[in-house]
Amino acid sequence: MIRKRAALFVVLFVLSGCGDYVLVPAQKPVSVARSALFVTPSQPWNRASAFAGKNAESWTLDGQSLNDLTFYGGIADGKTLFRDFDKRDRPLPRFSATMLAPDIAQLFESSYRVATGTSLFNIGRMEPAAFAGRAGFRFAYSFTLQGEEVQRSGEATGSVIDAKLYMVTFEAPTIHYFGSGLTAYRAVVGSASLAEAKPPK
Amino acid sequence: MKPLCLLCAATLLLGVPASAQMGPGYTPKDKDERGIWMVMEEEERRLKASNFVMRDAALNAYVNDVFCRTVGSDECRNVRIYIVRTPYFNASMAPNGMMTVWSGLFLRTRNEAQLAAVLGHEYTHFQKQHSLRLFRDVKKKTNAFSFLSIPLDILTGGIGGSLAQLAVVASIYGFSRDMEREADIGSVSLLAKGGYDPKSASRVWEQLRAEMDATASARGKKSRKDRNGGLFSTHPPTLERMTELKTRAEALGTNAPMMVNREAYRRALAPFWAGFIDDQIKLNDFGATELLLTNLAAQGWSGELLYARGELYRARGKTEDLKSAVDFYIQAAAVDKDAPAEVMRGLGLAWLRLGEKANGKRMIESYLNTRPAADDRAMLEILAGIGSK
Repeated sequence: MIRKRAALFVVLFVLSGCGDYVLVPAQKPVSVARSALFVTPSQPWNRASAFAGKNAESWTLDGQSLNDLTFYGGIADGKTLFRDFDKRDRPLPRFSATMLAPDIAQLFESSYRVATGTSLFNIGRMEPAAFAGRAGFRFAYSFTLQGEEVQRSGEATGSVIDAKLYMVTFEAPTIHYFGSGLTAYRAVVGSASLAEAKPPK
Repeated sequence: MKPLCLLCAATLLLGVPASAQMGPGYTPKDKDERGIWMVMEEEERRLKASNFVMRDAALNAYVNDVFCRTVGSDECRNVRIYIVRTPYFNASMAPNGMMTVWSGLFLRTRNEAQLAAVLGHEYTHFQKQHSLRLFRDVKKKTNAFSFLSIPLDILTGGIGGSLAQLAVVASIYGFSRDMEREADIGSVSLLAKGGYDPKSASRVWEQLRAEMDATASARGKKSRKDRNGGLFSTHPPTLERMTELKTRAEALGTNAPMMVNREAYRRALAPFWAGFIDDQIKLNDFGATELLLTNLAAQGWSGELLYARGELYRARGKTEDLKSAVDFYIQAAAVDKDAPAEVMRGLGLAWLRLGEKANGKRMIESYLNTRPAADDRAMLEILAGIGSK
């Protein structure tokens, strides 16, 4: 019997230390995922106080099991999306700067499958989308976790900029919560911008 | 995964003498056992409703037929088998007759006799009621303080009552080596009785050991095949275990049956290979997946298997992998005119990633002509430069 693992949002929650939440006020630009990525939320969110990965930060409206928005801020070549929790036996796949958008969707799917043990994960519609003023991608996904059985829907939007992956995902139970939080998520995505690197002196 | 965890736990729980045999229509005999059955019946009710249970009638009928042939047509009536879509090697048996078989098992057993070996092993745990000894042992050693050491997430989530909690504790301890040994011996006897080659049991463990080697080698690590833990922690495929199974099978002599039913197994599983292989590829275990695909291709590489191999190499995505993937996709199309259209998608994406834009564009166009409603059509058109000059 493989070791029991909880839902990914719970995994991220545990990895981030089961800690407190910090209010993210509306209408104020904020740097996310310890990266050059800035967003300006249109409504208040709650940020998990610790990080699920070096460059992964999660926000929620009602609790992470009900809605979870995660920023992946500048995942570099050779890095995982979030922290490995069983590196010896189940290492997570790693991002490559040469990945095309469908490869990134598969990286995301594979990371979730490895982290949660689920086989019920599907990537849905994928299309081009602007992100932080750059050409990028958007894809839909859905999954169910063993032992929990709640059907969840998700959406990811992102772009590879200067060989780093910037992406924002939103996932929630398909019934009610996904639809009710989607507009707030898209507003966050729409506000995304990258701080310009300072020119060398 | 709580229900499955409980299944494992409940495997350890029975409250009747270990010498008792579970004949057809067996019912629990004492208070403890009745309580445990009640808990497990509730878990079975949950499992029945799970999205992960594979309900295909033909597949379930086949696995049940193999099981009944192995343990006997009367005995098998005590057991209900649930096939669960989980891409790892495992099967478990609850004391009330609820058996689960994970889909990853089917990629790892190569014929009907090997499947029968695993089913026979689980059934022996059930028949010999190993759970009682372990349950009492755990009960003796475990008091309220022990619960403090149980991970919080196991104790939460719908597990109610002290029996269930003890079941969880028991699951952490696992079967003793003697009980596993007894189940191994039982599986060899059942195989022979059912007309299957009794050496099939040792071959399952031999293959698991080879898989652990392949996983480790591709990751540049040392194999842990002779250590407990890891992917096969509940059934560690140690050399000692494999050797004993082999010796016991050989002791049955030359009159032992030889049947393995490879073709029947392949036919029954054929509709499911693509899904099971896709699950496996996405586990980020290159070495094991390559080995499993090579085993499946023992009689020749089909278009479906070559496509899967292309997907595996493309997923790893180093330049050399992408070049290999291109070769596999081309071979897939060459050996099988009915190869899935997704061969073109994979080939197009591999070429695009290698910078071969003209080839990539041509192949993505072919794919989209075949699958005009593809979910990623708009993205593929942009990547391939379709519609732009």
